[in-house]
Amino acid sequence: MRRRIQRLACVALSFSMLTVTLSGCRAQEAPAEKVTTEIQIPISLSVDPTTGKKGDEDLVTAFNEEYSGKYHLDVTWVLETEDERRRSLKVKNATDQLPAVLTDVRTVPSFYRLLIDDHRIEDLSEEIANDPEWQQIIEPVVMDNTKDSDGNLYLAPISSGAFTCSGMFYNTELFAKAGIESFPATWDEFFKDCDLLKASGITPLALHTEGTGWAPMLIATAKMGETEEGRALMNQIFPSTYESESFEDLAQTLKKLFSYASDDCFNTDFDSAYEKFFSGQAAMIPNGYWMIESIPSDFKNKTRFSAFPGNVLIASPETFGWAITACYSDEIKKGALEFLKFRAKRSQDDKRKFLTLGGSTLAEQDYIKAYLNSPYIMKNYQTLWNSNLQEKIIPADLPDLARGKISTHDFVLDCNKSIAEFKEK
Amino acid sequence: MRISGIQKRFLKYTLPLFLIAILLSFTAIFVFMRNTTIKTLTQKNHFQCEKMGISLDELYSQTDSATADIIINENVQKSLWNRTLTGVESAALTKYFGYIRLSSVADYAYVDNKQNVYTRSYSVINYSQFQESKLSSYLKDEYSTTRWFVANDTLFGTNEKSLFVARYIRCMDASHVPGEVFLKMDNSFLGSLIRTDELKESAVGIMDEHGEVFDYISASSSELDDSIKEKVLETAEAQNAGIILDGDWSYKGILTAYRQPQSGMIIFSFIPAGVINREVNSLALFLLILYVLIMITVVVFSFYFSIKYTEPITEISDRMSGFGDGDFDNTLNIHTGTELDRIGDSYNLMLNNIKDLLTEVKEQQTALTRSEINTLLNQINPHFLYNTLDTIYMQARINSDDLTMEMIQALSKYLRLSLSKGSDVVSVGDELENVRSYLKIMQIRNQDLFTYTIQCDVDQEKTATLKLILQPLVENCIKHGFSEIYEGGIITIHVSERNGRLIYTVTNNGLGILKEKAEFLNRASNASIQELPSLFPDKKHGYCFINLVTRLRLKYLDEASITYSTEGGTTVTVEIPATEVNT
Repeated sequence: MRRRIQRLACVALSFSMLTVTLSGCRAQEAPAEKVTTEIQIPISLSVDPTTGKKGDEDLVTAFNEEYSGKYHLDVTWVLETEDERRRSLKVKNATDQLPAVLTDVRTVPSFYRLLIDDHRIEDLSEEIANDPEWQQIIEPVVMDNTKDSDGNLYLAPISSGAFTCSGMFYNTELFAKAGIESFPATWDEFFKDCDLLKASGITPLALHTEGTGWAPMLIATAKMGETEEGRALMNQIFPSTYESESFEDLAQTLKKLFSYASDDCFNTDFDSAYEKFFSGQAAMIPNGYWMIESIPSDFKNKTRFSAFPGNVLIASPETFGWAITACYSDEIKKGALEFLKFRAKRSQDDKRKFLTLGGSTLAEQDYIKAYLNSPYIMKNYQTLWNSNLQEKIIPADLPDLARGKISTHDFVLDCNKSIAEFKEK
Repeated sequence: MRISGIQKRFLKYTLPLFLIAILLSFTAIFVFMRNTTIKTLTQKNHFQCEKMGISLDELYSQTDSATADIIINENVQKSLWNRTLTGVESAALTKYFGYIRLSSVADYAYVDNKQNVYTRSYSVINYSQFQESKLSSYLKDEYSTTRWFVANDTLFGTNEKSLFVARYIRCMDASHVPGEVFLKMDNSFLGSLIRTDELKESAVGIMDEHGEVFDYISASSSELDDSIKEKVLETAEAQNAGIILDGDWSYKGILTAYRQPQSGMIIFSFIPAGVINREVNSLALFLLILYVLIMITVVVFSFYFSIKYTEPITEISDRMSGFGDGDFDNTLNIHTGTELDRIGDSYNLMLNNIKDLLTEVKEQQTALTRSEINTLLNQINPHFLYNTLDTIYMQARINSDDLTMEMIQALSKYLRLSLSKGSDVVSVGDELENVRSYLKIMQIRNQDLFTYTIQCDVDQEKTATLKLILQPLVENCIKHGFSEIYEGGIITIHVSERNGRLIYTVTNNGLGILKEKAEFLNRASNASIQELPSLFPDKKHGYCFINLVTRLRLKYLDEASITYSTEGGTTVTVEIPATEVNT
C-alpha cells in the first residue's frame, strides 16, 4: 500500500513538473495593447500672424481637460494671412483634407455655399433642436442669423451677439495731434475729422482691397445705415439688383474712403491694414470685438473703440458660426458637436463675465458702452451678398474705383453683373 | 559483476527519475525552440511586411500628393470653372499631365466636367471610350480621395491587369460636377516594393481590397492558395489599417498582412508550413541525438557512481556479516571523504569496545568462577582450620603456653570474622573486632612496635559495612609506616558517620607517605577496575590497594572513595554509604 502511494506521488510529481515545465513554453502572450478610446477631433486654428498668439488656445485646453479620455482636439496651428486661409480651405476641401471642425467658414461666402452644395458640412438642425442644453445657451438673434436661406443649420450658433459687433478702432494719440478730442458722432463730423487728420499729415484710415474688402466695406455699409433705403438694402439676402441710389452712395463712399487711405493699400489684405494701424501710421481701422485681444501692449492705452457714426454697429453672429465636416465618422462628428456646445457655453460665460466686469482695457470698456448704447445693428454684407461679388468684383474693382479708373456707376454695374455670373456658375 | 541491493535500488529509482527529467527537458527545450523559431520567423515576416507596408504608404502619399497638385493646377481648375479652354490652355493642360511629380506613370487620362478627355498625345480616347472602360465605377462615392485599384486596362487598350490611381478633381471655387483623373501605373511602381533577394523562402503578394492580386512572388514558385487570399480579405474587412494579420498560424504557414489605409491595397507575406517544419524537424533531430547521448552517458555514469558509492557500503555489510565469527581484527578501511568514513571509524571503535568488553567479561567470568571455587573451598577449610586451631589451643593450654593461646585465640577470631560464612557485609562491630584480632596478632609478632586506639562514633551493631576495609589499611601502616621504627608506633582508627556516609579514618605516626605517592594513589582510586592493575606494573606493590579499591568499587560502584594524605604520618580516609545491618 505504502509503495503504491509512493508511486502515485512520483507520478503526480512528474506530472506537475511536466506541467510547470511546459507552462514556461507556452506561446508568449502579446502585451495587452493600451486601448485608446479617446476620440481625436481634427481642427485647424490660426496663429495671429502679427502677435504669434494661438487663437482659442484656452478653449482647446479647457475642452481637452474636461473631456480627457473621451474626446481630444487634435489641433493644427496655422500661421497664415486671410488670403492664405481662404485658399487653404478651398484646397483642403478639394483634396478631401478638411478638419472635422471648420471655423469661421461664413467669412468666405462662396466657399460656405460650396460646402453646402457639395454636402460637405453637416446640417445640425436636428441635433441642436433635440438638445435642451443647446436650446438654453443659444441667443435667439444668433440662431436666427445663423440659419441658412434653405432653412438648415449648417453653422453651430456658438457665438454671442455681444462678441460679434464691428465698429471703429481709433488712435487717441493721432486724434490728439490733429486736435480731435472725441470720436465723431455723425458722418459729416467723421469726414471733417478725416480732413483734419490728413491736414496734420496723418493717414486717417487703414484700408485694403483684397479678400472681400472687409475694412472699407465695413465703413461703407455702416454709412448705408443713414437712410431707410440703405438699411432696407442691408436686410436683403442676395439682392436681385444692386442698381439703386443706396448702392451708388456706397460706391461714392468707398471712393471717398480711399482718399483718406495710404497709396500702398491697394491689392493688400486686411493684415496690411492692421499693421498700418498698429504701427501708428493710420488713425482708424474698422473691425470687430475679436481684435481687442490682439491689440499690442504699447497700443492698449491709446486704442479706443466706437460705434460707427450714427451709432451703427455691424454684427452678424453667423460669421462666427463653426461647422462640422460631413466626411468624418459619426463618433468624431458627435465629439465635434460636443466641442461646439462647449464653445457656446463658454461664450455665454464669457459674455456674462465681460458685461459684469466691464472690461479690462479702454477698448473693451468702449466696446461695452457702444454695445449697450442701443446702437443700430446692421447685418454684415458678407452674409448677404453673393460670393462672386465679394470675392471677384470687390477686390478687382476697389483699386480702380479709388483711382478713378472706373466710375461709381461702373462699379454698381459690375456688382450687378456678378448676380448673373453667380447664378450661371 | 555482482550488483548490491542498494545499487539495485539506486538504479531502480534514479534512472527513471533521470529519464523523466531528460524527457521533460527535451520536451521543454523542443517546445521552447519551436516557439522561438516560429517567433523569429514571424518577427522576420512582420518586419518584411511592415517595411513593404511603409513603402506602400509612401507610394500612396506620392500619388496623393501628385493628384492634389493636379487638383490645384490653374488650368485644371479652369477646365472645371470655365465653359471652354483656349487652345493654349488646352494644350498646356494636355502637356501638364506628362510632367506631374510621379514616376512610373504608364499612361493617363483626365476627363473634365464637360466630357473633354485629356491624354498623351498619341492616345486618342474620346468620352464614349472612357465611359465604356467603366473605370469611373472604381471612384465610388468618394469626394476627392485618391483611389488605387487593380483592373484590366480597358481604357488604354492593353487589357492587361494594371494598377490605376484615380481621383475626382473638384472645382475649388464652386460646386460643380467633378472631373476625373486616371493614372495607369507601370509594373515597376509596385514591383519596387518586393525585393526578390530578400524573399528567401517566403512568398509576397499585393492585392487590392477586392482581392485582385496585382503581384505574387514565391521563392518556391508555388501558386497563391485561395485560402490565404480569403483569409487576408476576411481580416481586411474587420480591420482597417496597418498590420492586419500578424504571424497568423492558422493557414498552412505564417501569414502577415499589411493594409494601406487610404488605398485599401494589401501587401502580404507568407512563410509556408513546410519551411517552418523543416527548421523545426532539423532542430528536433539535433535535440534527439543530443539527448540520446545524454541518456547513454547518464546510464553509464549512474552505474559507475552507484558502484563507487555502494562499494564502501558493501564492504561494511561484508565486514559486519563477518563479525558473527568473532573476528575483532577485521576492521574497516574506508576513505571516501563522505559520511561513510565516519561509519567505518565508528564501526572500528565499536569493534574495539566490544573486544575490550568481551575480554573484561571473560576475565570477570574467570574471576567469578575462581571465586565460586574458593568460596566452596572456604566452606570446607574453616572446619578443618578451626578444629586444628582448637587442637593447638588445647595443646598450648595443656602446656600452659599463654602467649600461644592468646595468638591462636586472636587468629581464630580473625579468621572467623574474615570468612564470616562467605558474606561480604558485616557489622561495624565485627569489622572492628576483626581488625583488633589482626592488630593483636601483629603486636605479638612485633613486640613494642606500636599501640593502637579505636574510636567508634556509630552504632556498631546496627551499622553495616563491607568487611576487611580496615585490615589492609592497618597492615600498610605496620608494613610501610613503621618500617623504619622498632617502637612507639601509634595507629588511630576512627569510625564516624556524616551525611549518610560511613567514614573510616586510619592514621599512623610512622613514616609519612610521599606527597607524590599520595596524589598517585588518590588518582588511582578513581581508575576503572580494568585499569587498576596496569597502574602497578611491577606486580610487587599495590596489592592491598588494588584489592581494597576493587572490592569497594564492586560493592559500592562510584559511591565509595579512598583518600590518602600525609601530615606527620599517613592518614587514609575511606567513605562508603552508611547502611543498616539486615536483621
